[in-house]
Amino acid sequence: MKPLLRWLLSLAVAALFLAPLLWMLLASFRDEAHIFAFSRSTWLSPAGWTLHNYADAWRRAALGQAFLVSLAQVTVIAAGGLLLNAMAAYAFARCAFRGRDLLFAVVVGLIILPVEVLAVPMFFTVRDLGLLGEPWRAFGGLTLPFVVKAFNIYFLRQHFLAVPTALEEAAALEGAGIWRQFWHVGLPSIRPALATVAVLDLLTHWGDFLWPLLVGTRESTRTVQIGLANLFTQPPIQWGAILACSVLATLPVIALFRVLQRFIVVTDTGAGIK
Amino acid sequence: MTAWQRARDRRAPLFLLPALVLLGAFVVVPLLRAVAWSFTNADLLAVSHARFVGAENYTSLLGDPRFRRAFGNTAVFALLVVPIQTVVAFFLALWVNRPERAWRWLRTVFFIPVVISMPVLAILWTMLYQPAEAGHMGLVNAILTAVGIAPRAWLSDPQLALPAIAAMSVWQGLGLQMMVFLAGLQHVPRELLEAARIDGAGPWQRVWHVVLPSLRNTIIFVVTVTTILAFRLFVQPYLMTHGGPDDHTRSVVQSIYETTFLDQDLGRACAAALLFLLAVAVITALQRWLSREQRA
Repeated sequence: MKPLLRWLLSLAVAALFLAPLLWMLLASFRDEAHIFAFSRSTWLSPAGWTLHNYADAWRRAALGQAFLVSLAQVTVIAAGGLLLNAMAAYAFARCAFRGRDLLFAVVVGLIILPVEVLAVPMFFTVRDLGLLGEPWRAFGGLTLPFVVKAFNIYFLRQHFLAVPTALEEAAALEGAGIWRQFWHVGLPSIRPALATVAVLDLLTHWGDFLWPLLVGTRESTRTVQIGLANLFTQPPIQWGAILACSVLATLPVIALFRVLQRFIVVTDTGAGIK
Repeated sequence: MTAWQRARDRRAPLFLLPALVLLGAFVVVPLLRAVAWSFTNADLLAVSHARFVGAENYTSLLGDPRFRRAFGNTAVFALLVVPIQTVVAFFLALWVNRPERAWRWLRTVFFIPVVISMPVLAILWTMLYQPAEAGHMGLVNAILTAVGIAPRAWLSDPQLALPAIAAMSVWQGLGLQMMVFLAGLQHVPRELLEAARIDGAGPWQRVWHVVLPSLRNTIIFVVTVTTILAFRLFVQPYLMTHGGPDDHTRSVVQSIYETTFLDQDLGRACAAALLFLLAVAVITALQRWLSREQRA
């Protein structure tokens, strides 16, 4: 196939593929009567465009508060997860102790447990620990169960094992304890793996739905996704506000895209994303 | 062993403790409780009064037409999504696997829906699927009308609702599978492709006889991961159809959730969750077994 033809075909497919998202962006600036109107004249005429949807969405879904909750939620999970998962991974990779391999096998066995299986009993654990109710405790209930992930421990351990230990030994001979070996030598040597884990955590939990639906429906712990779902399910239905809220909920994800593109390049060279 | 190594090993428990405490509290304990409750008649509001009922929850679930329907819907969804997504993602990966910068840009395009949150996309597609009414309609029907196909009520038609949700899910997840295939394609031996070309093999023959066999484990991985993701179906039907019309899109996860919080039948919900886990475990074991075969 000729390169030009190949390109034109690719562009057409890409345009069709992105059409839903382009429509979301454009329609979020349309007033209610024009959102689902598709006659040729309506989209080209200057009538029917508005910014009100964004103001309505911001007010009705209490997005100021919801963004704070969501940003705090994903930050606590990703940052706390980096530290605690990496510490455990480091101990599994570098330290010798009795029962290590058995313990590690148990952790690996937990990887296949989907959150959907655990959500109901987890809800009771969170309740028994007093992590429902008033704001700060409820925020703990929203985040704490997802900080440590068996898969992340496994993934980071593999990366620790893949880097040479010479630098850490040198640091140890200089008198550095395990904490300084871990913090100053171990962690920096697996920076790409840490970035991968952090980006995946941020994206996954920004889109969390089932768990916040169970524990975070009070206004003080309502996430952006729950706010959006409420706009969608609680009358009066304002399609424009729903679209505007969808666009706003997607902006942080786009901001992460630069980091993500580097991550995609890594997969190009065959480093794998498993 | 040197002194500093011994000192490091002694500190291992401190490094493990925080992670293990959280894993224990939020994964192991809930799992054990789910197992225990699944053999009782535990009620959502009176867990402490639970009474042992043996395997009754399991047997009644397996005989319950509504639960079987939810399992069937989820299986049909997986059967629609997994083959289509895998095949399309594979050819897409072959298509965009070119070194120039512009193709990298194209790869990014197909990856965008993967990173956007599912609730946003489920709500967006509900709007895209809007039926035609008084000259107004969703984008899907508008495009179909433009090429002369009659508009349909995608999400409220019992025959179309699940396929419509499957189509949306294929669109959403395609980019991830494409990336995994792209990573796999970098490992296809170039000499082998070159040798096939010299021997006169056309592009299709090269794909069939060289690319596919060397991607064996990648394909198994993609199929397994996609199947497990498909079984976890929840957000799309919950938001787009609420499981309707008439339970035609109700998924296993939605049924677990409703058994807990609407029927307040905790024991039964835990049994359903464990049956679901069993399905996931079987799929994972199958993948391990299939991928091991080749290495031996």
